Order: sequence, then C-alpha cells, then structure tokens
Amino acid sequence: MLLQRIFASVLLLVCLSLVAMALPYQAPFSYEPIGPRAFPLLMLGLMGLALVYMVYRPSPIKHTDEDPPMDRETLTKIAVCVLLLLVFAGLFEPLGFILSSMLVGIPLARLYGGRWLPGAVIISLMSVGLYLLFDKVMDVPLPLGLLDVLEN
Amino acid sequence: MDTLGYLSHGFGVALTPYNLVTALSGTLIGTVVGLLPGLGPINGVALLIPIAFALGLPPESALILLAAVYLGCEYGGRISSILLNIPGEASTVMTTLDGYPMARQGLAGVALSLSAWSSFIGAFIATCGMVVFAPMLAKWAIAFGPAEYFVLMVFAIVCLGGMAGDRPLKTFIAALIGLFLSTVGIDANSGVYRFTGDNIHLTDGIQFVVLVLGLFSISEILLLLEKTHRGQEAFQATGRMLFNFKEAASVFWVNMRCGVLGFIMGVLPGAGATLASAVAYMTEKRIAGPGGKFGQGDKRGLAAPETAIGAEACGALVPMLTLGVPGSGTTAVMIGALSLYNITPGPLLFQQQPDIVWGLIASLFIANIMLVILNIPMIRIFTKILAVPNWALVPMIAIITAIGVYAVHATTFDLFLMIGIGIFGYILRKLDFPLSPVLLGFILGGLMEQNLRRALSISNGSLDILWSSGITVGVWGLIVVMLLVPIVRIWRKRSVAQRAIADV
Repeated sequence: MLLQRIFASVLLLVCLSLVAMALPYQAPFSYEPIGPRAFPLLMLGLMGLALVYMVYRPSPIKHTDEDPPMDRETLTKIAVCVLLLLVFAGLFEPLGFILSSMLVGIPLARLYGGRWLPGAVIISLMSVGLYLLFDKVMDVPLPLGLLDVLEN
Repeated sequence: MDTLGYLSHGFGVALTPYNLVTALSGTLIGTVVGLLPGLGPINGVALLIPIAFALGLPPESALILLAAVYLGCEYGGRISSILLNIPGEASTVMTTLDGYPMARQGLAGVALSLSAWSSFIGAFIATCGMVVFAPMLAKWAIAFGPAEYFVLMVFAIVCLGGMAGDRPLKTFIAALIGLFLSTVGIDANSGVYRFTGDNIHLTDGIQFVVLVLGLFSISEILLLLEKTHRGQEAFQATGRMLFNFKEAASVFWVNMRCGVLGFIMGVLPGAGATLASAVAYMTEKRIAGPGGKFGQGDKRGLAAPETAIGAEACGALVPMLTLGVPGSGTTAVMIGALSLYNITPGPLLFQQQPDIVWGLIASLFIANIMLVILNIPMIRIFTKILAVPNWALVPMIAIITAIGVYAVHATTFDLFLMIGIGIFGYILRKLDFPLSPVLLGFILGGLMEQNLRRALSISNGSLDILWSSGITVGVWGLIVVMLLVPIVRIWRKRSVAQRAIADV
C-alpha cells in the first residue's frame, strides 16, 4: 500500500513537471484551433486526477503463490542485472556485438544460476551464431567493433 | 458474392510458394517463442518487425509472417501449460486446469493434439466470421469522420478499463501513460518539439519497437530473476499422440459454442484472450453441470478455453483491419508494424490494398492448418525446448532483444531508452499494473490526437462536433455503459462483503 502511495506521488510529481514543460508549447502561427499542447495537457490532467485518487485510496496488490516477497538478495540481483544491461548498451558499439554480448552474457548466465564453463561455451557460441545469422543471413547490420580487423 | 471472389484472390496471394514458406517459418518461430517462458505473442511479433523490415519482405508477406507468428505463439503457450502446469501467459491459465490433470493421467499427447484441434476449430470459426463481417464493418466505417474515430478510440480505451475487472483505475492510468508517451517528439502539425528535452534522438518520438521490447522483454528478464527455476522436467508425451474420433465428437458442441464466443470477445476491444478463455471455461462448466469432471481432466474443460483463445486471436484482427483501431496488445504491435510500411489500416485498406487484407485472411486459414499438422509430429521436439534452463535462455532473450532494437535506427540511445522503459515496466508490473494498455494507448495516442485536431478544425474549434452525429452519440452511450460497469461491479462486491461482515 505504502509502495503504491509513493509510486503514485512520484508519478504525480513527474506529471506536474511535464505539465510545466508543456505549457509554453505554442505554435508560432497556426491554422487550426487546437495547438500542440492541448492533447498532452488533457492526458496529463486525467492521469493526475487518477493518481490523486490512487494516493488517496490505493488498491491492494494481490499476491500469487509463485510471487515470492522481495528480499535483499533479489534486489541485489536485479541491480546487478540492470547494471549488466547498461554495460551491454554502452559497449555495444565500441566493442562490437560479439565481444559485448560475450562480456555481458556470461555473467548474466551466471546470475541466473548457470555454471561458469558451460555458460561461457554456450554464450560464446550463441554470440557468434547470432551475429552470423542476423548480420550475414538476415541483413540486419550489427557493429563489429574491435573485431573489425577480422573483416578485412 | 463479391467476398468469395476476393477470398479466392486472397488465396492466390497466400498460396504463392514464397508466402507459404513465410507462413510456415512464422508458425514455427511463433510456436517456439510461445513455448519459452518470458516470451509471448507481443514480444514475438515485436522482435520480428525490424527483422521483417530488414529482410525486405513485401508488406503482404510481412503481415503474413507476423500473423503466423501471432497464431504460433498462442499455440506454443499451451504446451507448457499442459506439460508443466505453468501457463506461458495469462490467457492459458484456464488450459492448465484440465490439461495438466490429463497429462498426469498419461494422456499428454491426446491433450496436446486435442487442444491443437480445438484451437484450430476456434480459429476457423473466427476466420469465417471475419470473412463475413469484416467487409461489412469496413463498408460501414467509411462513413466515419474524424470525430467518429476519436470517439471510437475513447471507447476502445474505456473498454480496457471496463473489461479489466478488478483494477480499472490501474488500467486507466496505464493507458494514459501510453497516450502521453505517444506525444513525445516533433508535432507533425505545428513543428513544435514536445517533451524531447533537446535530445536529438527523441525528435522522432519514442520508437515503437523500443517501447514494446523494453516493457515486455526487459521487464520479463527482471521478473525471471525472482523465479530461479532451472528448466522443469516436463511430462513425457508418450503413448497415443492423436485424439480419436469419439473424443473429438464429444467436444464438438463445446468447440462450436466457444468458437463463436471467442470471436465476439475478440472483436470487442479490450476483452482479450484472458477474459475469453475464462468466460468460455466457466460457461462450459455450468452447462456440463455436476456430471462434468472439470478440474480433474475433463476434455471439455480443455477444449473450451483453447477454442476461445484460437477464435479470439483471429477475431481481434477484425477491428484492427477494418477500423484501424487495435483492441489488444498484439494487434497494437501489428499496427505498429504496418505503419513502418506506411500502411494505415482502416476501411480504405479493403479497397486500396485488397492483396494485403485478403492475403492475410487466407493465410490465417493456411497457418491454422499448418499448425495442426506441425503440432502432432513435433510435440517431442517442443517438449525438449521446454527443458532449456533459464541461464541459457535469459542471455539469449537479452541479446536478441538488443538486436531487435538496434536494427530500427542503429543507435545505442535506443538501447538505453529500452532499458529505462524496462525498469519502469518492471516497477509497474510489481505494483500490479497491466502493461498492454500502455502499448494500446501508445498506438492509439497519435491517431486520437490527429483525429481530435482534425475534427475540431472542421468545426472551427467547437466541441459540438464530437456529439453531433448519430454514430458518435451511440458510441458515447456505450462509453458511459463501459464506465459504469466497473463501478457497479466494485459497488456490488463491496455490499456483498459488508453483508458477510454483518452476518458474522
């Protein structure tokens, strides 16, 4: 309940700042009665109303059996996972697809309960395989990065 | 009579070897994607959009591919429900109720093939319904002006809340988030940059694929962290694989009833497969009465939700094709795909591009037949896929998702944006918000704003145009009904609860 109140309040603040951001949006000259800010303001206004109601009266979350309560361990894991994904996004172009997906994929496999060696073998094969499949067969261009030398 | 001519033309399009191979690979990919935990039809279709585009598929083939993947995913979802008792997605929860007991009784093969058959009949009924009703609806929809469209989209959004049952407020907020996100980027009418924060990558708006994959794939990866199960032992499908004639005949009327029901639920915006399967199961349970062994492996209990899901998947394409208004998350994704090809679904699509519409309808027939034929001999292979452990699966989902996002614009900004959206989606999910309304809102947002502005330009700013025609007044009436439904439901629940307290 508390979490929902906090979430709704934060979202409400975001809403308000977006409204402030939208207020100066005005077309220099316009051929239509409705400018560019009416629709976003309408949406933000409705969302704000709904969020105020939610802060006032949050609805209980139904817990299912397979949904374990959050503990410190899970939260750490989630933080690590997010971090790995961010590293992946950051290194995607500089290192190239194959190296970055190996670098991130292997610890990711470990995080989800795999062992180092099989994880490393499978992820490496998968990275090379997916690169060949997408870049060579399906024409989706992927960066080679450091491995650029191999190409020529 | 016209319809039949168009339909045979459609079969001409769908039966070209190229499109047949497309449909076949689509059904295979779809089944595997639907099987894997964490990937559902929405991810499956969204991942294939940039790939279909990169492959240079012509629009009708791309649409056939996506529709085949969509149907395949719905098929794949049932395999884990029956063999593992783990529903792949919310809509197959009902399938586990009687499917898993059947597998425990040694009838796993029969359960799988019977559910494939039921789903086929459902999809067949719905496709027939589509052939009959879609052109009629399209003809009627030509009379729609911008005001009518705007009101119709309001109806689609409100329907989501009305049908969602226990959490209308959260559904509503989720849809509004999507509607808002659609306004990010340069405004096409005035050239004003909205909510971009001077970021050059956002001038184009948030890419649709980025939003979908962030919301669904990334948040699912994070959710999978909590459940560190390592590839369950599936029930081996041994013994008789195929159902016999008697078994098929015993569920025939169930198939018929649930097929029609599923189609209607599919056409209605916002109802969705989850509701369709639940209503079908409950109805059949009531019809069977105390004689049925529902919950202990009754074949009717398996056939009812499967038929309804199959029919719903096809029925949901009707509003998407005829009105251009998607009713579910998956069809919203398909609209996004079409817009990549500069095709705007709507009533005019039937006149301007009959190849696409009728080719798609015909390929639905073909994909359904393919799925039944494929499913029976390949069940053993599919059960092997279920044994893939999470530690191999999750990195693969992450990597393929990144490829899909990168393929759209080839910028790493999109990758970061996707991760950000994914974290937001994960929080929303943990707080029990539904995610597909966000998607639907995002797709409808742009259309809604355009139509509202066009309508008000026509009327020179007067709001009267929004309720001036018979159609708009009728739809407003429906909107009011839909808004009242959840309020009445909550009120009734509350009064029942109070009575229970008073009784104690």
